[in-house]
Amino acid sequence: MSVTLASIVTLASEGASPELIKVDSLPAITAVVVFLVAFTVLATVVWPKITKGLDERNEKILSEIRAAEAAQAKAKAAQAEFEKRLEEARAEADRTVRAARAEAERQAEELRARAAKELEDMKNRATQELEGAKRAALSEIHAMAAGLATTVAGKILKREIQAGDQRRLVEESLSELSAR
Amino acid sequence: MNFLLASGDNPLGHVVDRNITAEWAKLPESASAWRLTQDSGVPVSCLVIIVSGILVTWLLWRAAKAIETGPSSQGINRFVTKGRLGQFVEAIVVALRDQMLNPMMGEKQTRRYLPFLLSMFFFLLVVNLFGLMPFADIQHMLKNQLGGPHMEEYILFGGTATANLMVTGGLATISFVVIQIHSIRELGVGGWLEHLCGGHELVAGPKGLWLVVPIIFVVEFLGLFIKPAALAIRLFANMVGGHTLMATLLMFGAMAAKAGLANWAVGTITVASGAFALIIFFLEVFVAFLQAFIFMFLTAVFISTMSHHDDEHAHEHDEAHGHPAEAAH
Repeated sequence: MSVTLASIVTLASEGASPELIKVDSLPAITAVVVFLVAFTVLATVVWPKITKGLDERNEKILSEIRAAEAAQAKAKAAQAEFEKRLEEARAEADRTVRAARAEAERQAEELRARAAKELEDMKNRATQELEGAKRAALSEIHAMAAGLATTVAGKILKREIQAGDQRRLVEESLSELSAR
Repeated sequence: MNFLLASGDNPLGHVVDRNITAEWAKLPESASAWRLTQDSGVPVSCLVIIVSGILVTWLLWRAAKAIETGPSSQGINRFVTKGRLGQFVEAIVVALRDQMLNPMMGEKQTRRYLPFLLSMFFFLLVVNLFGLMPFADIQHMLKNQLGGPHMEEYILFGGTATANLMVTGGLATISFVVIQIHSIRELGVGGWLEHLCGGHELVAGPKGLWLVVPIIFVVEFLGLFIKPAALAIRLFANMVGGHTLMATLLMFGAMAAKAGLANWAVGTITVASGAFALIIFFLEVFVAFLQAFIFMFLTAVFISTMSHHDDEHAHEHDEAHGHPAEAAH
């Protein structure tokens, strides 16, 4: 069955020279047959399962990546839209605040003007009232002074003075008083 | 001392092939229950090959079960590979397919030859790694327990089947047949002959160049056989070389003892050579992977050199346009 071709290595130590290369068809035939049987089983049962599993996972990963990229793009668009609207809202808020501030300032100014006017009016009214009271007081003083003077003069002259005389005397007295 | 790897004082004892029943016949009469009386001439490597074939089929079948997509009830986990074996096989398959074979052969040819190439790779890997298992050495120790005179090469099972040139030659013959079938299928008989004559450029070129066609034909024709022969010899030589080196290193301690050195010297030599043998063992594990890969890869190279170049260009075109097939890996 087997034919020795060569004994490749001869050992330095004792012992026989093993036949490293032998022409023997049986190992070769066994290797070919076993490999072909194993390959047939693997090619029909095993590798299809493995390649299918890997392809399905590959496809799954790719679809997930595509979906993630689409979601990312969508999220970016939504973020851009949100930021745009946020910017618009900020601008609107700024405008509203500015308008409110201007309105408040205008109203405050109006209130200040109105208060100043009312104050001025009150001051004028008070001045007028004071003038009127002053004049009334002076008239009363004049009248009392005239009456008193008449009484004093009557007592001095021991005679009664007529009403017309009395008025004339008062006016004269007032004129003198004013001239003084 | 030399109870590991080296059977007897011969480092090749671990490497050379033997006949199974002849080894049985060497058993002593005391072990007659185990004894076979005739030599059927079946080498140990045959048994190793058969066991390796069954083992690789079973392991890859288990890996396939782990890799395949599970039922939808598992949710997203149905796409996850379960177990280390499945992940190990998957990592190798994906790396070989996407990093090695696809760029070289193109997607179409890769899909066609992937089962063959991966089967060859894993088959060789298992046979190579089988050779690193100390089956032979365990039997050697058992032999010592059983006793019996002059039984220095007693092995029933084990050893590296790919350290048998006939085994690697048989596998290289399969590669040869596949390469030639592919060549004729791809190029046609005319194209195949034209390729052997130096290609279309030479055959249809200036008539003056026809003088070199016979030379090229002879070279190419011989190359048809030299290429698979190189595959066989490379694998065989690497397996023999590594194992012989490892066995030789482990023999140093016993040789020192036989030389009558002092105990401390024998111990030092044994420890040092054992440490080196351990390093070589890890190197051998790497070589087991590497040689399986080289055998498979060179077969793929020979197949791709006998293909139309359109596939490769189509593949490059796909890559340039970001074909999604490889994106997920």
